Amino acid sequence: METVRNLIDLVSVFVLPAFIIGFPIYGLLKKVPVYEEFVEGAKEGFTVAIKILPYLVAILFAIGMFRASGAMDFLTQGLRPVLSFIGFPSELVPMAIVRPLTGSGSAAIVAEMIQQYGEDSLLVKMAATMFGSTETTFYVIAVYFGAVQVKKTRHAVPAGLFADIAAMLLAVYIVRLLFG
Amino acid sequence: MLNYIWAGLIVFSLVFALIYDIRDLNQDTYRNGQPLPVTMHFEEPYDASTRRLPVHVHINQTEFQRLYGVSHDVDSIYAGTLVQTLDGRQLQFAKDVSLPEPLATIRSMTSKRENDLRGPVSFEAAAGGAAVTRVPANLSFARVRFVKLTAITQAALDFAQTAVTIAIGLIGVLALWMGLLRIAETAGMIHLLVRFAQPVFRRLFPEIPKDHPATGLIILNLSANVLGLGNAATPLGIRAMESLQELNPQKDTATNSMVLLLAMNTASVQIVPPSLLVAIMGLQVNQLFFSILLTTFFSLIIAVVTAKFLQRTKRFKASDPLLTNQPEG
Repeated sequence: METVRNLIDLVSVFVLPAFIIGFPIYGLLKKVPVYEEFVEGAKEGFTVAIKILPYLVAILFAIGMFRASGAMDFLTQGLRPVLSFIGFPSELVPMAIVRPLTGSGSAAIVAEMIQQYGEDSLLVKMAATMFGSTETTFYVIAVYFGAVQVKKTRHAVPAGLFADIAAMLLAVYIVRLLFG
Repeated sequence: MLNYIWAGLIVFSLVFALIYDIRDLNQDTYRNGQPLPVTMHFEEPYDASTRRLPVHVHINQTEFQRLYGVSHDVDSIYAGTLVQTLDGRQLQFAKDVSLPEPLATIRSMTSKRENDLRGPVSFEAAAGGAAVTRVPANLSFARVRFVKLTAITQAALDFAQTAVTIAIGLIGVLALWMGLLRIAETAGMIHLLVRFAQPVFRRLFPEIPKDHPATGLIILNLSANVLGLGNAATPLGIRAMESLQELNPQKDTATNSMVLLLAMNTASVQIVPPSLLVAIMGLQVNQLFFSILLTTFFSLIIAVVTAKFLQRTKRFKASDPLLTNQPEG
């Protein structure tokens, strides 16, 4: 177990430099004009960021308003009985609602829960597992689809949200199984 | 779908903001027009001719709780300044002090820039030569209404700014990875990855033609995700999306492959926990290795199955860009 962890840590340290150094070296070996190609590709960085911008503004300001309106408290209250019925701890309801909407907001919730319940508590383990297992779905949609100017997202939102919900429930059950 | 969710977020924030604000108006949460009784302690004897006097403001807990109808505690002593001009006397609390509700909200609504709670104060100025250091006073505040409505408007403006910060912040890392990927593509590295990954990925992404670079980019994106390299994963994912977009006849609509890639990204398997979580939890995060691995393993399967299932439903089949060549309205 320790060796596996060490190995994974080591790999994750070496992967980035391997990419960043390996690509140009491989290019050199293949007689690619690496500098010229790099600059040509890097040009796109700016245009992609600008393309993403309107999508990001649209998503973030709507989410920001929703959070500021206090709607989350209503949702938390409303969902509590339903979720506790399926064995989902009510302390985790805010986390479950905020997670797909904002990354920084949900990180703050984890930090708050550590303060309140202690790092070793089952609840914090569940919340952290949720955080580690899911993505800020709406942000990912804005960035990835914004970069290619896709406006009609079709089943991306339901598929992403369904996977999020599944991950939230799984996190609770799996943490209970492993640590409970 | 996103149209409704997006509009829903906006409409519901208005609805909930109004519910809160009307409740506040009804209950008069901020006791507009009713003064808060305080006691001012002067460091030096009170002098009616001095323009600025440092004071310590004492708020009586029982009176505070009775006035605002709350049950939480109030710190008894706050530093402040008494400002006396010809127009009247104003009491200013020290900047950025921690205040209990509803005083904190009153401060954020009435003194946003300075962030000091302030308001006109009235008291009986001591007559005669007696040195007075302790004066009971009535402190009033400017009228506070529609707190949540103001808050959502401010949030909309703030988050538009946040979006710009995020997008601009992405430029550097995007440029770096776009440049590196360009080298990798010209050098034929992506092609190698495609050949290696094709057998598995052909099943997941049947829309991608044989030997198309998209498969290689998807592999890079997903492996960066697995290793918790969020910074690299995003540019790689964007490049993969661009590659998929080349195969899309209807540029404003997502193809099945795009949605699947997105779903796999939101539910990605994580061997290395995201750096933000490490920052919050420190070494404790190591305990969560298996729980995160297991959760993401299952949620990845669920994401793939859900995306594959939804693309077969009538509604999403009708909007599939690869099946319908007619652009729909």
